[in-house]
Amino acid sequence: MPEKPNKQRAVLLGGLVIGSLWGIPFVNMINCCCCAGILLGGIMASYLYREEFVEGMPPFESSDALITGLLAGIVGALVATFISNLIHLAFGPVGAEVMKDIIEKVLQRLEEQGSIPTGMYDEMLEQLEREINKPLTLYEVLKDLLFSVIILPIFGMLGGLLGFAIFGKKKTAQPA
Amino acid sequence: MAGIIVDKDYICRDYATEIFMISPNRTYNTLLALVTVWCIAIVAAPLLAAGGEVSGPAGSLLYEGFSRICHQIDARSFHIAGEKLGVCVRCSSIYFGFLATLIAIPFIVSPNRLRTPSIQWLFLALAPMIVDVLSYNLGIQSSPVMARLVTGILAGAILPLYIVPSLLEAVGQIKMSLYKAGGFYARKTQ
Repeated sequence: MPEKPNKQRAVLLGGLVIGSLWGIPFVNMINCCCCAGILLGGIMASYLYREEFVEGMPPFESSDALITGLLAGIVGALVATFISNLIHLAFGPVGAEVMKDIIEKVLQRLEEQGSIPTGMYDEMLEQLEREINKPLTLYEVLKDLLFSVIILPIFGMLGGLLGFAIFGKKKTAQPA
Repeated sequence: MAGIIVDKDYICRDYATEIFMISPNRTYNTLLALVTVWCIAIVAAPLLAAGGEVSGPAGSLLYEGFSRICHQIDARSFHIAGEKLGVCVRCSSIYFGFLATLIAIPFIVSPNRLRTPSIQWLFLALAPMIVDVLSYNLGIQSSPVMARLVTGILAGAILPLYIVPSLLEAVGQIKMSLYKAGGFYARKTQ
């Protein structure tokens, strides 16, 4: 009886999507909504793996979706750390600057509406400036990697399971 | 192991009941515990940070961890003890909505009997949040706290209905394949 297809392709592609959506500045803003980018990557990995099942193979099951999402999250963590640090080395802290621009706009709007006390705006901007000027050290890179390796597989796995719930089992006719 | 004869088929038949009938509840309880810890950490961040030098570093560590998954803008967050929660209003609503449904599930149906609802309900529950996020970013509306709270809770509350059945089934399948392969569960039976 033919075995289940190899997860390698789905995991790598899913991991690449997760890594890109987590590591590329501005694009990674999507994760501000409860890691939507990672969930999407997990869903995609699960979908890609499901598509590899052909007639005669055992069916695509929820455990396949869980493992694919989890592995894609681990690969994504490595890819994201690589991408974000590469961008930081090449272009400087663009991610933090993009974030600063966005937060600046939000704060400005909130101050105009009177939702935040006067003076808080400048204080928060100072805080952001300090974050931007922080140098890139090995400690920071490892800390980044550690957080990513914890968070991304969890949300990747949830994405994989959501993918299974969305696309469902793939029934493959078994040979008689 | 010498001297011990193990009928693997018998073990599988006997323990299949345990795996598929009891284990789902254990998996569910583990998930509930993890999500509870996650939500406690969200609330603990400001409480620890407010503790000054004693617990402050622990609070900072929690804020640092949550900063990876949320913008943590002060004006967009709930506050406890004068400090913002670990995540913003929208994220808090999603996580606490998720936890609320997890807690509610056993009162309505046994977790291992929970079936995934039709997928349209998922999109229907997520739609208000997506509309709120998009319209805010396009400058159409200011996304008041209540809108973020309600749409977040709605989105978070629906997710367990899709994740829990798949997760319980997946863990059962993994355990089954583990003892079929002669791993931990087969050894446990000896």
